[in-house]
Amino acid sequence: MKSLKRGTALIAVLIFFFLIGMIVLIVKIILEAPMYVSHSAHAELGFVYDRNGDILFDHKARQAKESDISNGKYAENCYPEGYFTDIGNLIGDTSGQMSNTLVNKNLEKLSNYTFMAGITYEGGKAAIYTTLDHTANRKVYDSFGDKDGCAIAYNYKTGEILICTSRPNVDPVKGYDEYDEEENPMPDGMLLCKTFSKTVPGSTQKVPTTLAAIQTMGLDKLKEKSFNCEGPYHSKDDTDVHRGCWSGGHGEQNILEAFPHSCNPFFAQLVADPDWSIGDIKKYYKNMGIAVNGSDEGTISINGIISDTASTELNDKNDHETQWSCIGQGKTMVSPCQMMIWESAIANGTGKGTVPYLIDHTTNVSGRIMETADTSYTDVLFSSESAKELREIMVENGANNYNEYIGYEVGIKSGTAEKDIETENDDGETEYSKSENALLTGFVNDDDFPIAFAILVEGGSSTDSKDVLSVLLKSLDKPA
Amino acid sequence: MKNGLSYGGVMFFSLLAHIALLLIVFVKGNYDSILDPLILTGAVFILDITWFVVLYFLDQNTYTFDILLENILGMSIIFQSCFGKVGFNIKHFIFCIMALILCECSFRFVQNYHFIESHKYIFYGLIGVLILSILLLTGSRSMWIDLGFITIQPSEFIKPLFVLVFATSLRCLRHQNQILGIKIVYDNWILVGLTGVIVLLQWWCRDLGSLPTFAAVAGCGLIMRLCYPKAKLSKKLIIGLCAGGVVIIAAALMLAPPYVQDRLHVDIWADPDGDGWQQCQALMATAEGGWFGKGPGQGYLYDVPASDTDIVFSTISEEWGLLASMLIVTMIILLMVTAIINTPRSYFHVTLSLGTAAVFTAQMALNIFGSCNLIPFTGVTLPFISNGGSSMMACGILAGFMKAGQAMVYYVPKRPVQNMPNIPNMPYPQNMQFPQDMPYPQNTQYPQDMSYPQNAQYPQDMAYPQNAQYPQDMPYPGNTPYTHQTQRRRDI
Repeated sequence: MKSLKRGTALIAVLIFFFLIGMIVLIVKIILEAPMYVSHSAHAELGFVYDRNGDILFDHKARQAKESDISNGKYAENCYPEGYFTDIGNLIGDTSGQMSNTLVNKNLEKLSNYTFMAGITYEGGKAAIYTTLDHTANRKVYDSFGDKDGCAIAYNYKTGEILICTSRPNVDPVKGYDEYDEEENPMPDGMLLCKTFSKTVPGSTQKVPTTLAAIQTMGLDKLKEKSFNCEGPYHSKDDTDVHRGCWSGGHGEQNILEAFPHSCNPFFAQLVADPDWSIGDIKKYYKNMGIAVNGSDEGTISINGIISDTASTELNDKNDHETQWSCIGQGKTMVSPCQMMIWESAIANGTGKGTVPYLIDHTTNVSGRIMETADTSYTDVLFSSESAKELREIMVENGANNYNEYIGYEVGIKSGTAEKDIETENDDGETEYSKSENALLTGFVNDDDFPIAFAILVEGGSSTDSKDVLSVLLKSLDKPA
Repeated sequence: MKNGLSYGGVMFFSLLAHIALLLIVFVKGNYDSILDPLILTGAVFILDITWFVVLYFLDQNTYTFDILLENILGMSIIFQSCFGKVGFNIKHFIFCIMALILCECSFRFVQNYHFIESHKYIFYGLIGVLILSILLLTGSRSMWIDLGFITIQPSEFIKPLFVLVFATSLRCLRHQNQILGIKIVYDNWILVGLTGVIVLLQWWCRDLGSLPTFAAVAGCGLIMRLCYPKAKLSKKLIIGLCAGGVVIIAAALMLAPPYVQDRLHVDIWADPDGDGWQQCQALMATAEGGWFGKGPGQGYLYDVPASDTDIVFSTISEEWGLLASMLIVTMIILLMVTAIINTPRSYFHVTLSLGTAAVFTAQMALNIFGSCNLIPFTGVTLPFISNGGSSMMACGILAGFMKAGQAMVYYVPKRPVQNMPNIPNMPYPQNMQFPQDMPYPQNTQYPQDMSYPQNAQYPQDMAYPQNAQYPQDMPYPGNTPYTHQTQRRRDI
């Protein structure tokens, strides 16, 4: 009889394990159901709004015809042409063409659905309220003119992203039918918000290099160091690469002079200076979140949107490639978003970056606020002393070269990045050429207008980037 | 009634469940004409009432199991008739009736395990015939035989036979043979070989979905052999076999064909329109159904391939709600629980019940957890619920195995029992009294749940029933020949 009981006990064990599985399954289904439904063709998705109540996403959106306009007002779900273009690849859509977008990463928050009641087809209030300023964003987008590029700006005290735009961009309402791989291919980068993509940082990389030098040597010692710029410069490994300044050169100068000049020979010689080692540079770069020589890059996630993190290759500090990387060329890549976070750590004077966010709050199907944003900070990226010291240098740079043009007191660093372009000629051969991108990164030195920014104008001049910055700050600095 | 449920009570609750579901069909269902739900209602009620009447006359004392099974099948007919639009699914209805009939047939067939055991090689032969039919008649590496008017899946019928061969070969464990000085049990090696052949067959047919089911049966069979009281089985051998099994499983997973590897590692949400399409659709439908469902015939999942078989749990969830899906799963579990409450009366029957439970739980787990992406998707049927005649009939046969363990039908010994009273046509009369210190005969197999008299002297090695519910102070008629026959007892 005991052996018979053993047999029935085994049946009980089978049933027990199955029931455990059922419990796990049911809990999983209940918890993940909003996500499942958000992927469904039957989903009734809510809206995404900007900070002023403008609609940034409407899954039933369509382009307005004349008949949809009455007394200057558009009918429900109807929008003028290009209405969403400035935020198309940031907010995204449900077409499946873009994955790293706010909508795609937060679909479940938009689903007018509860497990108890199912899908609410009419009157659901599930929504995402973002921190973006659509009007300002639009102006910045337009300020690029015919140039491509991107701009991102946020409140470095709170972390609210106010501007985030990228060119070329997509109009989700228009769709993708007009593009054809053979006849009319999509423009490069149209489906990517470039603010989250790596780019060659150019001289803006001198910000982390300077921070590394200040932390290693101290600003006083760094100030004492002066190097000569005669224009062209050859590294000690005698690589025949010219990375000079203009033909005359800047002459003998220290960090306070070389930083605003963006003097490559100065920084190349600084990297090779015997008072610090390549290990020091690597250490402080890594602290700032730069992946060195293939180390773990980590991730920056902004409400689910993944931003590329910086990376570089550093080997021998006398080596041309290493110096070139510290100047912001070579293998160094940084996303504008990460540049902006560094600027916040400098502007705050704490060495801790303010974590940016796009979602201010969300509401569920009944309109109840479900989650609200909180300001948070990164780990210590660099010491607060070095942050304050560099802030002074950058503010001085702004005062001498930018404030008058822009109309605001800024701490700033510009950069010009050389980018290799691969094109295919008519014979099918690959041709290489170089283009220059203009970058600007910095912050407004005003506690009442705490904006940190990063701007990239592809194939543009420094004036182009300053123009974009000027529009950006003016459009954000609206009277209350 | 001291323990258990009355016949009328079970019948009432079964009818109530069907009435409730049919009311939902009328109120929330998607149908073109009122005739559609009316025909369905009529069919379900006819089946219910016919089955209740048949059971009454069969007088088998397994009515809880029987009615539970019929209740599940009735619900299955209702569910399968509503996918997409309400309309009586006559094909499924016929297969459900066949499952009930086959359940009764297999129940009667496995009652006398001495007979079964003495003819066990017939089952090996039948498995061989089925394997050959798969190899010769199915076409290009498939599991299906297409007869034109119907398709048959022979591998489904291998499952009950596989359970049966494990149970019928237990007695062989008492005898070891020596070959070249090594003690072996022939049947063990035959079973190992058979398991290997089935694995290779599934592999060859590229239908590895059923492998875990066979593995579950083999695993349970192995444990039962290990626990067999009179087994002269080397535990080292069994441990070696287990270790070998683990190595084979690990190797199989590593060497599995690409389509299996894909299913093991697929991130369905990364490819919702590709490899993960069916599961994504199933999960979306389950979520959309919520607790209470969209209504019978109101879903969209029916349009997805295998909606009535491999992902039927989600199809039911979408139209009827997760509560209804959980209800049907609970019913199948209750069916297995009856085997725990009514302990099977012999080692043979407990092995059959365990094998059946292994098939049912493995298939439920593979079907439900697989379609809902908790484990890799294998594409097996949900017992009694999924559409498909082969699966339904195999499940009916297996249900008969489980039921047989719970019935009070006994082996009649050839030799008359000495010094025992002859009690014709048990059940015992009420208030019967057994004499004190009554000796019991050697080698008597006592029925389950039968009580024994106070202070009776039991012979060594005699199995006596547990949990017997005999009236105290039962009178004991003298000079009555004792026969072992069917005893009416209270069902759970």
